[in-house]
Amino acid sequence: MLSITDVVATPRGYAAELGGGARAMLPWLAGVVPFGLVIGVAAAQANISTFAGWLTGPLIYGGSAQIAAIEMLSAGASPAVVVLTALVINLRLVLYSGAMAAYWRGTPRWWRALAAYLLIDPSFVVGNDRYERGGDRAGGHVHYLGGAVVLWVAWLLAITAGATFGAQLPAALHLEFLIPLYLIGEVGRRLSDVATRRAALTSAVVAVLAFAVPLHLGVLLAIVAGLAAGLRAKAVRR
Amino acid sequence: MTPFVVIVLAGLGSYLFRISMVLLAERMRLPERLERASSFVAPAAFAALAATSIAAASMGADVAAAVPPLGASAVAVAAVRLFRRAWAAPLVGMPVLWLLTAVVGS
Repeated sequence: MLSITDVVATPRGYAAELGGGARAMLPWLAGVVPFGLVIGVAAAQANISTFAGWLTGPLIYGGSAQIAAIEMLSAGASPAVVVLTALVINLRLVLYSGAMAAYWRGTPRWWRALAAYLLIDPSFVVGNDRYERGGDRAGGHVHYLGGAVVLWVAWLLAITAGATFGAQLPAALHLEFLIPLYLIGEVGRRLSDVATRRAALTSAVVAVLAFAVPLHLGVLLAIVAGLAAGLRAKAVRR
Repeated sequence: MTPFVVIVLAGLGSYLFRISMVLLAERMRLPERLERASSFVAPAAFAALAATSIAAASMGADVAAAVPPLGASAVAVAAVRLFRRAWAAPLVGMPVLWLLTAVVGS
């Protein structure tokens, strides 16, 4: 079976792809690191052990689901409801998995196991962008890995720092708002065709309308509605 | 059930989500509709997550509290359209958020 590096043309090409993925991840860190700090602070202040809160980082590895799990455990919610809520919030990962499946088909099992573990919103974007550019598929895998590992390390360091020092960050800075602003930027630069615009707009409208739906199901409903709108717009244009 | 067990279960479930379609794709061809929809996953998911966060930040007891997040988001959209770069949104949006927060006093 081929290994990932067998098909990357040269060691220099390998390093360039790895570095390219890491650089593509850097803008994301401006939003992700403050979010990780916030989660670290939440873990330190919750009515569960700080280590249990920190463990949500490497195990659940998804900011919104981690916040929900820590806050609900701290409030004494039923374990089944906590697990269900975290999973519902992370349900979008099934869609990311579906999108990456075509690119990862035929790769070694260890690679898929590792790549899937590292799959979350920013790593999906960085990897998907590179794969969509075409060219050497194995180079795309290395690019994905470069970005995803930088994100993982930064995320865990941010949570650790937040749990240790984060309580001293001024709340007046509202750094948590960096995340939605960066998401606006990521959506905005993709609106090149009608179908994508329709998908994003529908998703945003449904997310607001379904804001009060329990268990964060509104986000999932919105994504599905956005996909349906995009597919419909694409079909109409054919 | 201890918090540790709850977190491990949520982590295992999240990992299964991450690898689910990757494993399925190995055994069967993914539905064509799903493959066609994959290009919309990122914009739809990010629009939903952004809209939910902005709604959460805007829906306080005080109507004036909605002004900074909504104003910063509107300016961020304009900045991305103008500069066509993702980083323009936080770079322009955060100062507007701080300014409006100082003006409105929330």
